[in-house]
Amino acid sequence: MRVWDTSHLLDTVPAGKQAAEHVHDYTDSEANRKRIRHHFRQLQTRLVLGLLLGFLLPNALLTAYFHFQFTHTLKNSALLNLEAVAENQKNTIDLYLQERVVNLFNLFHSREFSLQPNQESMDSYLQSLKRFNDGFIDVGFFNARGIQIGYAGPHPQLRGRDYSDQPWFKELRAGSRNYLISDLYTGLRNIPHFTIAVRQVFDGTPYSMRATLDPDKLYVFLRAISHGKEVETTLVNARGQYQVVDPARSPFPASSSYVPPGSPAAGVEEIELDERATLVAYTWLKETPWALLVMQPASVAQSGMYRTRLVLTISLAAISLLVSLVIFLTIRKVVADARRMAEKGQQLQEMLAHASKLASIGELAAGVAHEINNPLAIIMATSGVIRDMLNPEFDLDHSPEAICKELSTIDTAATRAKGITKRLQEMGKARMPVSVQCDLNALTAEVLERLQRVEFKGKHLEVVTRFAADLPQILAEPEPLRQVVGNILVNAADAIADKGTITVSTAMQDGMVSLTIADTGRGIPAGDLQRIFNPFFTTKGGGRGTGLGLSIAASIVKYLGGTIKVNSIPGAGSSFTVLLPVK
Amino acid sequence: MEGLRVLFVDDEDDFRETIVKRLNARKIQAMGAESGVRALEIVKDNDFDVIVLDVKMPGMDGIETLRHIKQMKPEIEVIMLTGHASVEFGLKGMQLGAFDYVMKPAPLNELLDTINQAWSKKRGLH
Repeated sequence: MRVWDTSHLLDTVPAGKQAAEHVHDYTDSEANRKRIRHHFRQLQTRLVLGLLLGFLLPNALLTAYFHFQFTHTLKNSALLNLEAVAENQKNTIDLYLQERVVNLFNLFHSREFSLQPNQESMDSYLQSLKRFNDGFIDVGFFNARGIQIGYAGPHPQLRGRDYSDQPWFKELRAGSRNYLISDLYTGLRNIPHFTIAVRQVFDGTPYSMRATLDPDKLYVFLRAISHGKEVETTLVNARGQYQVVDPARSPFPASSSYVPPGSPAAGVEEIELDERATLVAYTWLKETPWALLVMQPASVAQSGMYRTRLVLTISLAAISLLVSLVIFLTIRKVVADARRMAEKGQQLQEMLAHASKLASIGELAAGVAHEINNPLAIIMATSGVIRDMLNPEFDLDHSPEAICKELSTIDTAATRAKGITKRLQEMGKARMPVSVQCDLNALTAEVLERLQRVEFKGKHLEVVTRFAADLPQILAEPEPLRQVVGNILVNAADAIADKGTITVSTAMQDGMVSLTIADTGRGIPAGDLQRIFNPFFTTKGGGRGTGLGLSIAASIVKYLGGTIKVNSIPGAGSSFTVLLPVK
Repeated sequence: MEGLRVLFVDDEDDFRETIVKRLNARKIQAMGAESGVRALEIVKDNDFDVIVLDVKMPGMDGIETLRHIKQMKPEIEVIMLTGHASVEFGLKGMQLGAFDYVMKPAPLNELLDTINQAWSKKRGLH
């Protein structure tokens, strides 16, 4: 069994409809092109969004993560670096101070030492100290009562002075250690200085030797050992008072705005100093309760890091931008290529549709020519016969009856030609729409009744009708619809040689109204099934069929928005089902 | 053209019968056949000099009929009868061994000329 659908008969239309069809096609192809453009624009947008989400976003997140990690790490490393510098300098300063203390102790063990030193001895002590370090200003020797019994230096008026009330003397006497290094103070000479004092017991009596140190010299030393851009190195005591500081910056007495905590012994932090972010590392000295402060503006300490970070960020951004640009351009090119291909495909399809339409027109024209030529040939041949009859040479029967018989053959042929042109006109007219509500049952019954009265006469046909009772009305033009029903019914009757049954039924099928006309005729060979809807295809010999019936039916049904389906078993019969939409 | 035997094959009864009548009037032994199948039956039992064959017939068409005739009796000359729009069938027929083709509707004289040429060829009078 073969099932054939008429929906492929899109282009089986009469030639007269071509102009309108063409305009219709043009709009269609324009719409198609719009659809393709829209589709590819969407595709491009999706791809670009994919690029942004899949590449740029993770890239940006990763960059941000590394940026913060990098900043954190480098800030830490700047702090650690400063702390290491401070620790290193602290050791140097401790060593320096220890050396000064040792210098002083060594005086007790020198050859010139005496418990009653004369001026010459004292001068030689001072010289010996200055040989070790030019920071020494003067040197003095004190008995147990705190009287300076020997002095060498720029303040000879201090010789013989009582120091028993001086804080450093009291501290040295009371302290557990046998030496001390004082804070910066002005003392009896009224000039800021440090005292380094040592204590030594001779025969049960404590004697003290003390030297003063020039704070400026200590500052020069501090400057000498510190390095780094905009690094400021100072020494402060536990209360934050400057012990060694740039004399130009802070004249004595002055305090640092940063007071280092007592513990831990060393540390580093970032603080606001003079409204400027500053890194400060502190570390407590061993020899004296002073803290070494090493300060550096954060911007300077981290400038290298900021530069590196900037270069890194710019490079990453540039690479991302470049890669994105390349991907974007590639996407655009690929999408444009694909769009061109699709448009070309669409164009080809349109050309193909057009070509197949032209082919249909060609077939139609060929069919028309052939169908008209047949009666014309008969007319020519028959008029020739009449001429032959009138020619005595051929000795033919030329009685008026014989000539009349030939003339009626001509009439028949002419009528046939006229019939063909009339049907062609009907085909053209088939789409003139005057739609009304139609009752398919009533319409079919009416057509059937008319056919049974005339065309079906002389055959032993049994017609069975099965009309669905509650069939909805359909919106259609009654006359073309009658033509559809009539054409199929006539074919059914023709398919039956002498005796058979035609079953006509209506029903609702998939939301459409269906009319099925089944016959028990000879059936349609599989090879013909594809061609039965083609104009001028006929199996009815002897000029009985025009080959337009089903072609007209198909175009009417298609116009009404329906389809025709065919089932056929050769030798057993055919069934045509017309499906029409309910409107 | 006495002695010339022609078979005229066309499904149009009026046309075929009229032409056969006119050929007979011209002392040609003409016979008609209404289909390809019928033509083959007649050719099997009778000898012809020329066969005129309509290309467009229901059932077995002219081209198919030509093939069978040429297999069965290749010495018979065949003239194809075509419509204006189906000249290609005429040409196809000539490729398959037809002598010539004539386009419908043709004046009888043209058909007679072609039949005569075909007959001459068959008799080896070229």
